[in-house]
Amino acid sequence: MKLYDDYKDHADFLTIYVREAHPTDEWQMKSNAKDKDNVCYAQPKTLAQRVAIATDFTQRFNYPLPFGIDQMSNAANDAYAAWPERLYIIDERGRVAYKGGNGPFKYNPQEVRDWLAARYGQVKHTETATSSDKKS
Amino acid sequence: MKPILKWSLVGLGVAVVGVGTGLSFMAGSPKDAVGMVRYALPYMHFGTLQVGSAAPDATLLALDGENKFRLRDRIGGKPLVLVFGSFT
Repeated sequence: MKLYDDYKDHADFLTIYVREAHPTDEWQMKSNAKDKDNVCYAQPKTLAQRVAIATDFTQRFNYPLPFGIDQMSNAANDAYAAWPERLYIIDERGRVAYKGGNGPFKYNPQEVRDWLAARYGQVKHTETATSSDKKS
Repeated sequence: MKPILKWSLVGLGVAVVGVGTGLSFMAGSPKDAVGMVRYALPYMHFGTLQVGSAAPDATLLALDGENKFRLRDRIGGKPLVLVFGSFT
């Protein structure tokens, strides 16, 4: 989301929710268990179920990016070979300008940041001292 | 049993154990390796899109659960960063 904050004036962003990667009825990860992140959902069988999970996600994290949900036909997912997670940049002419690797191992937001930085310049963050920092 | 058949079976067994061990190492456990083979690999594709390819269109549902919009309608004056993913 920091990437979005840094470059939202230069680029549009769209998150596309696709089929779940680690639902309870398939390959659930320990990190999703109730005693940890409590992200426990079965694989949605209907579009309404996808909407419900996507809504929980955006509300739980106050997710600011524009959001779209893939159809149950998984048309967007199939067109972009997106599962389980993937990043693309589409240029102003509607061409693929950047194609990220398949997540999670090749999911690399830094590559998107580098692409945007090459075009619009790097966004530099200045560390601001907190009140506790100033006291010490 | 002919020696060649015997050694072929041994080789196959070693290969199966090796692949299983490798997948278990990658996934974190034998159970996760089974999950990965059964639920992940069939859905994970490199894809045919390349840099320079025309971006495919798709119809998406808005978070309100009612309105739909076209991905191509979001392409315009600025680059569009697409973030595909799910919750789990």
